[in-house]
Amino acid sequence: MITAGQAGGAELALAGVGKRFQARDRVVTALEATTLTIENGEFVTLVGPSGCGKSTLLNIISGLTFASEGSVRLDGNTITGVNRRVGYITQQDNLFPWRTLRENVALPLELAGVPARERRGKADHWLARVGLSGFGDAFPYELSGGMRQRGNIIRTLIYEPSVILMDEPFGPLDAQTRIVLQDMLLSIWDSARSTIVFVTHDLTEAIALADRVLLMSARPGRIVRADRVNIPRPRNVFQIHEDPEFRRLYNEIWDELRVQVRNVDAAAH
Amino acid sequence: MSTPPPTEEPALAPVTRPRFDTESPWVINASRLILVVVLFALWEIGGGWLFDTFYFSKPSLIAKAFANDIVDPAFYTDLATTGLELVLGYVIGGVSGIALGILLARWRFVGKICDPFLLALNSVPRIAVAPMLIVWFGIGIASKVFLAGTLVFFITFFNTLSGIRGVDKALCDVARVQGASEWQIFTKVMMPHASAWILTGLKMSLPFALVGVIIGEFLVSSQGLGYRLNFYSTQYNTAGAISMILIMMFLMMVLTAIADRIDARLLRWRPSDREAGGVVPKA
Repeated sequence: MITAGQAGGAELALAGVGKRFQARDRVVTALEATTLTIENGEFVTLVGPSGCGKSTLLNIISGLTFASEGSVRLDGNTITGVNRRVGYITQQDNLFPWRTLRENVALPLELAGVPARERRGKADHWLARVGLSGFGDAFPYELSGGMRQRGNIIRTLIYEPSVILMDEPFGPLDAQTRIVLQDMLLSIWDSARSTIVFVTHDLTEAIALADRVLLMSARPGRIVRADRVNIPRPRNVFQIHEDPEFRRLYNEIWDELRVQVRNVDAAAH
Repeated sequence: MSTPPPTEEPALAPVTRPRFDTESPWVINASRLILVVVLFALWEIGGGWLFDTFYFSKPSLIAKAFANDIVDPAFYTDLATTGLELVLGYVIGGVSGIALGILLARWRFVGKICDPFLLALNSVPRIAVAPMLIVWFGIGIASKVFLAGTLVFFITFFNTLSGIRGVDKALCDVARVQGASEWQIFTKVMMPHASAWILTGLKMSLPFALVGVIIGEFLVSSQGLGYRLNFYSTQYNTAGAISMILIMMFLMMVLTAIADRIDARLLRWRPSDREAGGVVPKA
C-alpha cells in the first residue's frame, strides 16, 4: 500500500468569504459572506438549487477564483492561489485526450518531477483500486463515461491533497454507476481521511456520503441550514434509503430545499 | 470499439456471401484495375481518330517518353534539384511557421498587433509576387525555395496559432490545480493540443510546397522537373510533358502517403472518424 505524503486532511476555515461581480449596470452577488469551518478529515456536502454559488465557493477554495471579501485558511494559512494541498474534481472529466488513462492519472506526479517508474507504479495501484486494471493504455475516447470519471477522481487522489473539492463528480453518470462510485469514494476516503467538500444536486447522495450536509439558498447564495448526519460508518450506500435516520433527515432537508428551488423558479419567471 | 449489439436470436440461416461482394477489398481493387485498364485502352485506341495525339498523346507514347527520361542522367539532376527545393522550402517554411505561431500565441500582445498584418500578407496571391522573387533571389534555387516556403509557412503558422489559442481553458485549470507551472502548462497542455493542428497544417501544406517549387521553375530556371515540363510543352512534346506530370503526381502521392502514416501514428489518441480543424490555405 502506498501511503506517502501528508496522511489525513486539513482544517478549512472560511471567514466572511463572498463573491460579487459586475454585470453591465449592476452588481450581482454570487455568494454572500460565508463563515464556515470544516474540520480536518470531515466529509461535507453542499446542496442547493442551481446557480446558488456552490461552484463559486469551490473555485474560491481551490484558488482559481478570488473572493471579493473574506479569506480562506487552510490549517491557519491563508490561501492566495492554487496550491497542491487542495485538489479539485470537476463534473466534466477533462482527461487529456492525447494521454493514455495511465498517463492522465500520473500527470500530477509528472508535474512534480516524480521518476517515471514510481509514477507508473502508483498509477497502476490506483487504477487497480478502482477496477481499471488493464485500461491503463487506453485513450479517453475508448472509455465509458464511468471509467473516465473514475480516472478523473484517482488522478486527484494520487497526489494526496489534504482537501479535495468535488463539483458534482457523479452528475453525468447513470444511477447504478453513481452508487458504485459513491461506495468506492467512501471506502477510499475511509482509509485516506482527507477533508472533502462535495457539491451535489442530489439530496440522497448528499446525506449518504456526508458527515455534515450544508444547504445553500437560491442566489444570492448563503448557507441556510447545516445538518450533522449521525448514520454510523462504514455506510452501505446501496441500502441507505432504508435507514430511519436517513429518512428523517431527508424529509427535513427536502422541505427546506423545496422552498429554495421554488425561489429560483419564481425568480426565473 | 463498436461491436454490433447482440441480436435477439442467433442467425439460423447460414450467412451466404453474395457472388459479387461489393464490400470485399479484392472486388474493389480488381474493379479499380479494370477501370484504369479500360481508360488507358480507350486513350490508346482512340488516339489518332477520336482525338489528336498531337494534343493529347497516348499511353504508348507517354511510356516511351518516360523510358527515355529515366535513362537520361539529366533527368536525375532535375529530380534532385526539385527535391532539394521542395525539402528546403517545406522545412524552412514549416519550422518558421511553427516557431512564429508559438511565439505569437504565447506573446499575446504582439500577437494581437500582428494578426491583421499576417492576414493581409496571406491574402497576397503568391503567384503575383513570383516575378519579384527573381529580382530578389535570382534565378537559382533560392527563389523556388522562397515561393514554396511562404506557402507552407502561412498554413503551418495559422494552424499552430489556432491550435495553441484554441486550447480548452478547463484543461489548463486541471493542470494548474495539480501544480503545473506556466511553462508546464505550455509544454504539457498547449503544445500537445496544438500538435494535432500543426500536423494537419504540415500535411495540408505538402502539395502547396510542390506547387510553389514547380511554378518557381516555370518562371525561370535551368533545371528541375518544372523546367523539364516547361521545356517539353514549349516543344509541343505532349508525351514528355504528360509523363512529367505523372511523375509529379506519383511523387506527391508517395509524400502524402508517408505524411498520412506519420499522422496516424502520432494522432492515434483521436477517434479516427474525427478530423482536426484546419485553416484552409490560399495558393
